This record gives sequence, C-alpha cells and structure tokens, in this order.
Amino acid sequence: MEQFILRNAEPKDVSDILRLIKELAKFEEMEEQVVLTEKELLEDGFGEHPFYHCVVAEVPEEKQTPEGYRVVGFAMYYFTYDPWIGKLLYLEDFYVMKEFRGYGIGSEILKRLSETAVKCRCSSMHFIVAEWNKQSIEFYKRRGAADLSHEEGWRLFEIGKQSLIKMSAK
Amino acid sequence: MASFNLRKAEPKDVPDILRLIKELARYEEMEDQVKLTEKDLLEDGFGDHPFYHCVVAEVPTEHQKAEGYSVIGFAMYYFTYDPWIGKLLYLEDFFVMKEYRGFGIGSEILKKLSETAVKTRCSSMHFIVAESNQASINFYKRRGALDLSLEEGWRLFRIDKQNLLKLSAEE
Repeated sequence: MEQFILRNAEPKDVSDILRLIKELAKFEEMEEQVVLTEKELLEDGFGEHPFYHCVVAEVPEEKQTPEGYRVVGFAMYYFTYDPWIGKLLYLEDFYVMKEFRGYGIGSEILKRLSETAVKCRCSSMHFIVAEWNKQSIEFYKRRGAADLSHEEGWRLFEIGKQSLIKMSAK
Repeated sequence: MASFNLRKAEPKDVPDILRLIKELARYEEMEDQVKLTEKDLLEDGFGDHPFYHCVVAEVPTEHQKAEGYSVIGFAMYYFTYDPWIGKLLYLEDFFVMKEYRGFGIGSEILKKLSETAVKTRCSSMHFIVAESNQASINFYKRRGALDLSLEEGWRLFRIDKQNLLKLSAEE
C-alpha cells in the first residue's frame, strides 16, 4: 500500500468511531446491540474526564473508501488498576476495515498502544478475546499474549442494570 | 455485632488499603506478588486523575482489633467503557477481614457500589472471579450476577511488560 497515519482521536472522529464500532459489532452479528450514540461518545471521550481513549488509522484522500471514509481502523482503550501492581492498559476494541487489512495497520496500532502503555508506566496490557476467534487469538499470541483465563482460571461476570437497581433499592 | 460505617476512602486510608490488599493476596497464596507501595496507591488514587476508587468499611474504636485497626473491609473499583453501551463500573478487589464476615458488611458494600453505578449512569458492573471460588460465585449469583465467560465464551488475555517493550521496540 498503503500509506496511512496513526493519530490520537479527536472530537471530529466520533462519527467514524461509531461507524467502526458498528462494523465490528456487525462482524460479531451484534450490530443492533450498539445503543451508544455519537453524543455519548463525545461526552464520554472528550469531556473533562475521558472514560476511554482512541487511536485511529487514517488514509490519504486518494485512498479513501467509495463512501469517502478516510478513517479505516481504530483501537479503543482505557486504564485499569491491578491492586498488586498498579496501572494497566486495557484494550477494549480493535478493528481495521476488511479492505485495509494485510498492510500492517493492526500491527502498528498494537505497537503504538504498547508504547503508550510503557510511557504511562503500565505493567501490562489486558484485553478479552472470544474463545472461538482463533485468528485474533493467534495474532495476539504471536506478540507474546498469554491466555490468563486458561492459565489462571478467571471468569468474567456481569451484574446488569436491572439487578443493580434492585440491589441499590433494597 | 457490630455497627460499621461505609465511606469513600481518603488519602489517610492508603496504609489500610495496602494492608487489606495484601491480606486478600495472602488468602490467594500470592502475597509476594503485591509490588504496589503506599506511595503508588496515594499517587494513583488521590492525584489529579484517579486510576481507582475505594470504599472502606470501618468499625468504631471499641471494636478495633488488638493491633488497633479501624478499617476492616474495602472494595476497589474504577470505570470502564463498553463500545456498545458506554460506561461500566468495574469491581477490581473486594475483601472483608475474616473476623468481620457474616454481619452484612459485604452486602452493604455491594449495595453502595450498585448505587454508585446507577448514579454515574453505568449500564452494569463487571468483575472477574476465579472459577475455583465457589463461595464468591454463589455470593454474586444470588445478587443476579451472570457468568459472561460461560454465556459468551470470553477469555482474558495479557501482554506483559517484557512483551510490550519488545513490541514497542519493533521496526
């Protein structure tokens, strides 16, 4: 290719971020589950206290998609805290549009996140992967990722809104 | 018992928070893995941008243990972000000293966290539990918790510091 640049997301990127979130959800056959709006993404990511951070991959005008999109990949992350070692970087979403894969964009994004993690003095990067997503698992394992669910037997739990309301009303 | 009081942690609580973190780690036979210091906890929790929040449970003076502790339980949490629904409350550590269990302190802590989650407009609360920890799994399931690892097949991965350095140095 393919020149592309990676940069920190700005407020103007919010509609592209939502578009890519929906594309990734569609790939997981869950597009209707995305209830987040551009307004929320804007408030939550670019307000006084950002709840997430984004890196976006952008191609020059001559490489844009037929619809005119130049932002072709993104990673959403935030900082979490391990009570034994401190700050961690948590990779929440990571996606490159199908037609722009195979050019090293994903690798560059992961490299950039690694730099961010090291610079912010994070002990490691965490993320979850669906156990059926063999391709992603391989991509991460090639870069030294360890399956903590496998090694340490962790299971992710959720208490949903309804149960939270029930509990807080008791 | 036992009257007890729940409140937001303050900088002065940092030594107690670290003590309880180590006690919980000891219970998991991992006490030597706790590398965090009081200085880290202070900077990271009470600086300009807190990386975590804590709720502590304390008992009045007459109930203090011989060593004089007043803080006997805690929960550490922070906010995460789900790209489909937005803000979530993530419960990271949750521990009540053994001798103070059975009095509803854990339930009250969880209730307070639920209120916090609802007030800050979080869609849900997430946390991980070791699959071997049946007592905790049951505690959470009784309160409506769902095992997403079971339901949705999620597995938690880690890229550690060594590999991060390696990745960031790659050409």
